Order: sequence, then C-alpha cells, then structure tokens
Amino acid sequence: MIEVRDLTINIEGKHITQHVDFTIPRGRITSLIGESGSGKSMTVSALLGMLPVDAKVSGYVMYEGRNVLDASDQEMESVRKQDVFTIFQDASNSFNPSVKMGRQLYAFSGERVGDTIDVFNEKMKLILDQLGLAWDVVEQYPFQLSGGMLQRCMIACAFYVEPALLIADEPTSALDMVLQKEFIQLLIRLNEERNTTILLITHDLDIVAEAAHEMAVMQQGTIVETGTVETVFSNPHHAYTKRLLESRF
Amino acid sequence: MISKWVGKRMVMGIVVLFIVSFLSFFIMQAAPGDPAAAFYGGNAQTLTAAEKERITRAYALDRPVAQQYIAWLGETVKGNLGTSSKEGRPVSEIIMERLPNTLLLFSVTMFFIIIGSIWLGTVAGMREGSIWDKGLSTFSIATSSIPAFWLGILFIYFFAVSLGILPSSGSGDVEGNGGVIDKISHLIMPASVLIVTHVGIYARFLQESIKIENSQYYVKVARANGVTESSIRKGVVRNASIPYLNYIAMTIPSFFGGSIIVESLFAWSGIGQLTVKAVTTKDFPLLMGSIMVTGILVVITLFIVDLIMYAMDPKMRKGGAR
Amino acid sequence: MKSRKALLFWCSLLGLIVFLTVFSNMLAPFSPNEMNMDDVYSAPSSDHWLGTDHLGRDVLSRLLEGGKVTLAVASGSVILSLIIGIVYGGISGYFGGLTDTVMMRLLEALITIPALIIILSFQAIIQGGMWGMTLLIGLTGWLVTARIVRSEFIRLKEEEFVKMANMFGTPVWKILWGHLLQNSIPAIFVVTLFNFAGAIFMEVSLSFLGIGIPPAIPSWGNMLYYAQNDILIGAWWIALFPGIMIFLTILSINFIGEAWKNPKRRRVND
Ligand SMILES: Nc1ncnc2c1ncn2[C@@H]1O[C@H](COP(=O)(O)OP(=O)(O)OP(=O)(O)O)[C@@H](O)[C@H]1O
Ligand SMILES: [Mg+2]
Repeated sequence: MIEVRDLTINIEGKHITQHVDFTIPRGRITSLIGESGSGKSMTVSALLGMLPVDAKVSGYVMYEGRNVLDASDQEMESVRKQDVFTIFQDASNSFNPSVKMGRQLYAFSGERVGDTIDVFNEKMKLILDQLGLAWDVVEQYPFQLSGGMLQRCMIACAFYVEPALLIADEPTSALDMVLQKEFIQLLIRLNEERNTTILLITHDLDIVAEAAHEMAVMQQGTIVETGTVETVFSNPHHAYTKRLLESRF
Repeated sequence: MISKWVGKRMVMGIVVLFIVSFLSFFIMQAAPGDPAAAFYGGNAQTLTAAEKERITRAYALDRPVAQQYIAWLGETVKGNLGTSSKEGRPVSEIIMERLPNTLLLFSVTMFFIIIGSIWLGTVAGMREGSIWDKGLSTFSIATSSIPAFWLGILFIYFFAVSLGILPSSGSGDVEGNGGVIDKISHLIMPASVLIVTHVGIYARFLQESIKIENSQYYVKVARANGVTESSIRKGVVRNASIPYLNYIAMTIPSFFGGSIIVESLFAWSGIGQLTVKAVTTKDFPLLMGSIMVTGILVVITLFIVDLIMYAMDPKMRKGGAR
Repeated sequence: MKSRKALLFWCSLLGLIVFLTVFSNMLAPFSPNEMNMDDVYSAPSSDHWLGTDHLGRDVLSRLLEGGKVTLAVASGSVILSLIIGIVYGGISGYFGGLTDTVMMRLLEALITIPALIIILSFQAIIQGGMWGMTLLIGLTGWLVTARIVRSEFIRLKEEEFVKMANMFGTPVWKILWGHLLQNSIPAIFVVTLFNFAGAIFMEVSLSFLGIGIPPAIPSWGNMLYYAQNDILIGAWWIALFPGIMIFLTILSINFIGEAWKNPKRRRVND
C-alpha cells in the first residue's frame, strides 16, 4: 500500500533519517521497531506529509501510485481525511486542553465519517466500553483524564473510523499489561475483519511477535533489517537485530 | 471554586483602591493651604458657622491625620466626594455628568479595537509566512509609535479645519438639535485616533499567541486526522485568546492614560478631561474625586476581563493542573 | 542578513536624531527663543525651513532644542527607573518566599494604576520644573523593569553555576553583581529600551496637556501644546514636525528593541 524509497530527512544540517526503504503491504500488519530517537516518529510525519517546515526531504513515499512528498497540501489533507487514521505517540498532548472530550472524540471520528451525534453516541459508547472506559469521559476535559485513558480515547476513535490505513505510534506505552493484550486482540480483529492495513510502531518485541506480519528494524535513522516477522525472528542478520532479540529472553 | 477565585480578585481590587485612596488623600494633605478648605469649596465664606462645624466633624478635621483619613474614606464610600472648589457643586454630581461620556468613548473604542484586533490577528496568525503575517508586525510597531494626540491634531487639521466635515472639539449632545448624529460626529475623531494607535499591538499579540498555539501537538494530531479546519481554528483561537485577554488586562491602565489625553485634545467632556482640568485649575477635591473614579473604573474593567478569562479557561475553572 | 541591515538603519536614524539634538546649539539656524513679531506664523520657506510659530520663533531651532530637553528628561527618568527596578526586582527575586510574594502583590496593585494619573496628581501639587518631571516619570516607570529583573534572577538562581558559587561561599554581593545581574543584562537592556520609548511618550503627553515641562522651555511636547491652537488657523507645520520627530524616535527605538528581543523570550510581558 505504501512504499518508502530512499527517504532522507534533514533538519538544520542534522540527518534524522537516511536512505530509508521499506514497504507497508495492503491488508497486513507491519511493525516498525527501533531504539528511541532512531527516527520512527519522524518517518511517520513524512508518510503523512506533515514534516516540520524547516525539514529538507528527498526520496519517495509512494501511496497509490503518487509520491506523497510532492503532493499539495490539499491533496494530502483529503488523503489523511479519507484513508488514514494516526494514533500519535504523545496521547496526553493529543487533545485540546480546553474542549470537552465528547466534542473532540466526535470531531475525530463521527464528524469525519459523516455520522450524526446520535449515531456517534451509540457507537462510541460500545467502543469505549470495550476499552474499559466509562461514558462519563465525554463530559470531562483532557487534563482530568490519565495518560492511559487518553490513549484509549484515541484508540477508540481509530476503531470507530475503521480507516484503510491505521498508523499507531507506540499506542500502548501508557497501558497496563491487561489492556495492552486486549488492544492487540482488537487490532488483530480490525485487520482480519475489515482488512485494515496497519503500521504499528513499538519498542516491544512481544507485541511484534503477537500482532505483526511484517517488520522493519530502524537504528540511528536507517533501516537495518526488513522481512516477515518469522524470518527476522528466526534468522536475524544485523547485529542490532540480534541484540534486540537476545534481550527479549 | 468560583467564589474563592472571585474573593481573591476582590481583595486585589480593594488593595488597588486603597492605594489610590492614599494617593487621593495625600493630595489633599499636600495641597497648598488649609486642607479643610478643600471641603468648604470656593464659597467657604458664605457658610454658616453651624455648617462649618458639621463639615469639620464629618471629616474629623480637628483630629490626627490617620483619623482624618478614616473619616474621609467613610465619606467617600458613602459617595460624598466633597465640593468642587471652583464650581462650588458636589464633586460626585460633576463626575456623574461626565461619566457617561467616558464610558461611551471607552466602550466604543474597546469594542472596535477588540473586533479589529481579533480579525487582523487571526488572519495573520493563521497564515504563517504570508504577507498578512509579516505586514501586521510592521504595521503594529509603526502605529503604536504614533502619539495618539498628535494623530488627533492631524485629524483636526484635515477633517475639521481643511474639509470641515467633523467638529474639532466637544462631545455633542443627544438632546440638542443634532441628536444622535451630533453625538456620533463628535465621537468619530477621538475614537478613531485611539483605535488606530492601539489596534495594531493588540492584533500582533493575538497573532503571536495564535502562532504559538498553532504549533502545539494537539493541532498536528487534529490536522493529521481530518478534523475540519474550522473546528481546529476555533480551538486554536479560543486557547490563544486567554493570553490575549491577559494582555488586554495588563495594558488597560495605560489605555486609560492615553484616553485622558485624547479627551483633553478633543474637549470630550469625560472624566479624563475633568482630571486635567482639575490639575490645571488646582481644584483639589475635584482631582481627588476623578482619581478615585478612574481607579474604580480600572478595577471594574480588570474584574470583567478576569471573569471572561475565567469563563474561557476550563483549567482555571476546574483548578486542574496535571 | 536583512534584519541586520534593518537594525543598522534604525540605529543610525536614532543616532542621527540624538546627534542633531545634542549639538542643537551649533546646528540650529536661530536661537530657539528669539522672537520676531513681524514674522509670526510664516509657512516653511528658505529663511525658516520649517516655518515660525505664534511668536515668530524658528520651528526648526526649537525642534532641535526641544529634542534635547525631551531626550534628556527621558534618559534621566529611565536611569532612575532602571535603578529602582533592579533593586526592587533583585530583592524580590533573590530572597523569594514571603518577601517576594508581598513585593509582587504590591507591584501588581501599583501596575493597575495608570502612571499618568499618579504623575498628574503630583504635578498638581509640586508643579515641578524639568527635573521634577524627570523624577516623577522615573518614579512611576520602574514596574516592568522590576518584574523582568525578578524573573531573570529567579531563573538564574537555579542555574548550576550560581548554585556552585553559593556552595563555595562566594559573598552574596559578588553573586548578585557578578552572576545574577550581569547575566540579566540582555533582558534588562530590552526592557529599558522600551521604557525609554515610554518615557518619551510620557513627557510629550504631559507637556502637551500643559502640565509638564514649564512652557518657557521648548520641548517636543510643549511645541505640540501650542500647536493644537495653531492648527485651527491652518498653521500645520507647527504640529507636523515635532510629531514626526517623536514618531521617528519611538519608531526606531521600537524596531531596535524588536530586533534585540530573543525570539524565545518574545513575550516579555508574561
Ligand atoms: N521538530 C524537530 N526538529 C528537529 N529535530 C527533531 C524534531 N523532532 C525530532 N527530532 C530529532 O529527530 C530524531 C528522531 O526523532 P523521532 O521522534 O523520530 O524518534 P523516535 O524513533 O520516534 O524515538 P522514540 O522511540 O523515543 O519516540 C531525534 O534525534 C530527534 O532529536
Ligand atoms: Mg517516536
């Protein structure tokens, strides 16, 4: 679905990523894994066409035969609105602090797909319930909720929208083990039932093993290894990947 | 929550008014001549002994200064601001005649400044790097460098002397021949002078706040996920307007200062012109009264701005800080 | 690069204005107080480049001399408010705690009283001359400086090198002077620059109201005081030129201040 070729991002003379190559096949769960600061979130920004203004970028990000990096702002806006949902890494700053959650959840989900408030209320209640959240959250402001609750609110919107492509940047970082497991199950169900393509960014190899089909390993701004999860796990090539796998057990 | 917050603001306002009252009282004490004369007014000779006796007792004029202050404060709170030494009328009466004009000028100018600056600031702040963005910065520095009263003099030259389409001074009279039109024609020049010299800096402050708000993480998240531009904009402007309101609150005192001068230039018969007149004619009771009233006006305005800020910022309302 | 050129331009303009006014004695074509009753209200001409006023005095000469007075009053008062602001803000910021709370509450209260009102009331009583005005403007203009100094001191106090100095028993005055104050200079400089513009505004406003500098001494504000009547009979030149000088002076100060402001410290007022 998305092909990243030779993606190099440069900010103020500093290389953030260099010659990044990987593919996100349609209908699969692809996992991007790598150390902190290796450029994962920046790569996501590039996929969305939302790099900082001072970023210099070269290479290709092909989406349905078009290079996202050359697309106009309007084009990207409509692509993001129609096909993609992104759960950002920092959930606690992902909501406007002075607007009630209910309105924001609606803007992220119901309004986007053209549902009325009533339809939204009904559908969202079910999803929140599945994620262990009470309906009360819609009456609260973001600063009254915990980081994990906010993360689940974002996840709820993603499940509501059922986008063609779901990008999730460390979506479970603030969740406990039980919730994390449930989320992974929901993610797998979304992929199987709705055929949603998923890019899952994580530090956690257990999650990769459980959910992902494909994986790419990133280190210091470069992709050091790609392949299906089985091949990489059974036969890692790069020293960094080996270290990662060893530390798992 | 609200009652505690309001209480805190009230205490602050009362402290300010106390300082202003010290200042007023100090003027009376320091004024040349007998401080008591201030209360007798210009027609001290015509008062009967009984009346003098009554005034002396009311203001504790035969007692130590501290007691005089308390007595004076008591009278002031009751609304008795003494008698003008030049006009021989109660100060409160004179001020009440003037107050509507000052309130009119203040509310009209503030209304247009706020509307104009929100419009300019939003347009410029939302289009970072555009001509609007860069132009507004220059425009605001340039216009805020113009002395308002000088612009007023130029306006008088063009619109009153050369073109003769607007009156050069006075504040018009709704009951007179001209009616409302007359009032408006007198209002146009003082109001527009204040608007032109102030709208820029307020707009610029909002523009900067919007730019800062626009770079927040939540805006990026919303843009990435197809939230409509209009609702993103609404959220951004709303959040940016809290520091903007705070800025208005901080500059209100100097704005009042500026309008004193403009009132004098256009002989707009408001509190500002009255204050200046009291200084030049050394009418101390009148001066004390107008200072007190200006202080009260500032405190009330700040209180209103604070209330709006409080209503707009849920974090303040819920007292929640993460 | 472009902003650098702009900064140079505004600095030169301000320098030129200061130069013209400081050397007004030598540069002025006439004595600023020389009256000529046969030549009142004459429009700009080759004799009087900027015309003459209601007493036949040369506007250009008065403009230069008046600038000297206005700028001297502004400079004097800015120095005074700088000293008060540093002492007040420094004490508040360095000692912190209850001292700080009380001092800042007082400052907040004072800041809500229009400075013009305070000066007006004192002028009513003392009716001071040029230096009295300087004193009054200085005594009312230190509030923002104090606030900036305080926040700078609080910020610097937490810095590693100041904590180290404290640990090594460096004398307090040395820490205050050598570490805290010297590192606050950039911020203090910017606020002082804006203060200077504010002081000019204050002087011209008061003199314009006829309660500032005694009318016998020419100043930009005083010239405008007479100009409000002169304009009614069409003598525009008496009003135009002092205003332009004030405008250009304040404009260059504001642009210099903007250029100097660290973009990260943009909201000086916070
Ligand atoms: N706005 C920015 N401007 C300049 N450099 C940035 C910016 N944002 C991030 N960086 C730099 O880009 C590099 C990659 O950051 P990125 O956020 O993509 O890392 P990451 O792989 O997502 O790490 P983590 O696992 O901690 O989220 C880092 O070195 C960071 O310092
Ligand atoms: Mg990241």
